[in-house]
Amino acid sequence: MSLSFQTMAAIRFGYGFRPGEASPQNKDQLLGQVKDAALRAPSFPAGGIDGRHQQIVDLQDRLRELRQSGSDDEVRRKRRKAIQKQVQQGFQRDAYARLMQAVLSPNGFYERLATFWTNHFSTSANKSLPMRMIVPLYEAEAIRPNIGGSFRDLLRVATEHPAMLIYLDQAQSQGPESSRGMKQKKGLNENLGRELLELHTLGAGSGYTQADVRAGAMVLTGLTIDREEMDAVFRPGISEPGRHTVLGVSYGGAKRSRKDYLALLDDLAVHPKTAQHISGKLAAHFISDQPPEEMVTAMADVWKGTDGDLTAVYGAMLDHPAAWRDEGAKARQPFDYVVTGLRALNAGSDNGIAGDFMKADQEDDDDVMAPSKDMAGQDNAMGGDGGAMAPDPANEANSKRRKAFQTARGLGLGALRRMGQPTWLPPSPAGFEENFSAWITASQLAERLAWARRASARFGKDEDPREFLRSTLADAARDETIRVVSQAPSKISGLTLVLASPEFNRR
Amino acid sequence: MTEITLSRRGFLASACCLAAAPIFTPVTFAAMPGDNRFVTIVLRGAMDGLDLVQPYGEAAFAALRPTLALTPEKGLLDLDGHFGLNPAAADLMSLWKGRELAFVHAVSTPYRDQRSHFDGQDMLESGGEHVAAEKTGWLNRTLSVIPRSQARKAIDVNTSTELILSGPNNVDVWASDSNLGTAKDEMQFLMRLYAGDPAFAKAMEEATRANNAAMITEPDGKRGEKIADVATLAGNMLKGDYRIASFSITGWDTHVAQTGQFKRPVQDLAQAINTLKVTLGLEVWSKTVVLAMTEFGRTVRQNGSGGTDHGTGGCAVLAGGAIHGGRILGKWPGIGAGQLLDDRDLMPTADVREIAAAMLYRQFDVTAGDLTGKIFPGLSFDKGSQFLKV
Repeated sequence: MSLSFQTMAAIRFGYGFRPGEASPQNKDQLLGQVKDAALRAPSFPAGGIDGRHQQIVDLQDRLRELRQSGSDDEVRRKRRKAIQKQVQQGFQRDAYARLMQAVLSPNGFYERLATFWTNHFSTSANKSLPMRMIVPLYEAEAIRPNIGGSFRDLLRVATEHPAMLIYLDQAQSQGPESSRGMKQKKGLNENLGRELLELHTLGAGSGYTQADVRAGAMVLTGLTIDREEMDAVFRPGISEPGRHTVLGVSYGGAKRSRKDYLALLDDLAVHPKTAQHISGKLAAHFISDQPPEEMVTAMADVWKGTDGDLTAVYGAMLDHPAAWRDEGAKARQPFDYVVTGLRALNAGSDNGIAGDFMKADQEDDDDVMAPSKDMAGQDNAMGGDGGAMAPDPANEANSKRRKAFQTARGLGLGALRRMGQPTWLPPSPAGFEENFSAWITASQLAERLAWARRASARFGKDEDPREFLRSTLADAARDETIRVVSQAPSKISGLTLVLASPEFNRR
Repeated sequence: MTEITLSRRGFLASACCLAAAPIFTPVTFAAMPGDNRFVTIVLRGAMDGLDLVQPYGEAAFAALRPTLALTPEKGLLDLDGHFGLNPAAADLMSLWKGRELAFVHAVSTPYRDQRSHFDGQDMLESGGEHVAAEKTGWLNRTLSVIPRSQARKAIDVNTSTELILSGPNNVDVWASDSNLGTAKDEMQFLMRLYAGDPAFAKAMEEATRANNAAMITEPDGKRGEKIADVATLAGNMLKGDYRIASFSITGWDTHVAQTGQFKRPVQDLAQAINTLKVTLGLEVWSKTVVLAMTEFGRTVRQNGSGGTDHGTGGCAVLAGGAIHGGRILGKWPGIGAGQLLDDRDLMPTADVREIAAAMLYRQFDVTAGDLTGKIFPGLSFDKGSQFLKV
């Protein structure tokens, strides 16, 4: 028995239903989102793409001044702390904006794909202070505009972005026999070369060797960043001279250029192993941890026939019958869970109740941004209104504001951190875990229950649980869930049970 | 005869369980004979064993690692005249002097060729002979062959189950700062909600069990997410009815500027082991073995950016009151010309799985047949293992 097209489109291919929002009626509308939404700038980074470039260059200047300043240690420490605080706050705002972008966007399929590809080409903001500003920019300018076009372009743009060059240490790599490399006694770093083959294109176990990794890293030498401008640049002086053979193809020559590594990337982009690996990953993300083989083959065939036209590959996935049956095989990952929950509870005009609340509280002033993550965590762990601190009567307005901020944080970024999926901070270049078993565990469930309680209490006062169940899960709700929810002892309990139900946590 | 004793113990355990539902009291278990503990710490990202335990007596070492190699004059803590400990691990020296710490150099899993973290970690945790040979974790499969595994529980201290403890046997997974916080009446509704969905029903049951145990071991609920909190939770669980615990320490993937990056994970490791010792108390610590292991080693030469790339032979750490430490174990292959694997890596001279097998053999009487057949297929292991002398 299968669900209606709208339900499958919303739950399996989007971030669930949002009251008042029209959901896609057919496959063309789903695919249409990809073309349309890619043209529009996301709500992050703050200051827009051009503005962020300038902010990053300014930050580099300030950090350089700080390094060169002769003033005493105490002053320098204070100045460094001030810079760190400002950058960290900016990062939090971008991360909130990303969350709310997914909550408020009517283009759920496109948003899900943006998350998929940001995770496929993982970078982490933890690598360095400037990365807190660069990683949000990376998603906005490298990933999002390119996920509906050819994989060749996406691979080029992602590989050449400063976020990737810094995260995988390419910025530090130099050809051991290059003119500059010999002088500076620096040498090869093979991190990007390895992950390019293992994660970004061919996939682990696809037959490449350590010699291919090293040769690939050699071909990539010269690709680095201009630290002043914080932009990718090719420097022949650190590029390893000579020819290097990757998977039987020879790249380079006596005089090395950017064309050499682009030729390598282009060959990898259309390699049959790449088509197979990434088609399998897409199908595993959307359909099932073990997607049907014939579905992956159909997608890979379209990849090969179109030289990696990604929209055509998504189309092949949606055209396959397996895309529309066996619902609920996947676990919602934490970001998916939190976004879907906020969307479900987001009734009301404009941005909706949840949207307005979360937005207002991320725009709050610096003093309120200050509470440490421990406070937010502790507040969240209370699982409800049993806040730990008694309000100071002299300062009630401030304490109210602080509490609202903590609620917003506990329901947003704080929840994502506690659930193991902090925004733009994946645990490794392989990104976040995919499988059901990683996300539906005892401590995950405890966190999701705490979230469901808090979110229901904050946003659900005017909701009828039975109505909420219908508008949120439609025909995906099981009979037993309908029964349990309708018998719940209170409204808030009823809403909590909807958000805690297996079908709300599956997709 | 043994069996009678065992089932009688089992009966006492369940009687106690009913009375003090839903978990056993720690006292009953402390009174049981043969209640050894085993902790695994997975060092994720591939620890550079040559940085932790440096062969400073080796002529080639300083040349291969111009900025990473230390000597006792530069702060390295001498261990045996040939090897020295990275100063970031200074907090481990008291364990070394007390013979409760040992290092095993030049070990690796059977994983040798592509040096992928992700495959390497899977191999380390699945215990298989090659990638994807085993779908479950070796520590979980161990539970199937330990007598009375129902009473001897295992806990995975993480937000999600790690491969090493995943499989058919029940394992409790709990993050150090988790809290179920569920009212009684709501619990009834949740049980009904999950009754028709085995995966959710199982997760809920585990959450309830782990939550109750954590509440009893730390009734004030003051738990955090730092490594000391993780080790404290694991220690408290082991002091009770848990016998096996596993958790991870990340941050060992040091491709760049290793000198600075290496400090944090090393200090975490030292703190984790010391916290376990303090939390367990002298008596339980004396029955405990801690094995810290990593997916593979790193290149012997430092790379062009003051770091190291993915290599092969690595280092394992053994600690606990139940070991005879104060020794560097394993067969040292040397790092001179012609001694490296592929002219690049420390040559592995032993299978890291053998160390784990030896500890399981000693701590839980797992038979050699089960170890080489069910838990680590393809491993050769017998009573002559050098690691049984530790």
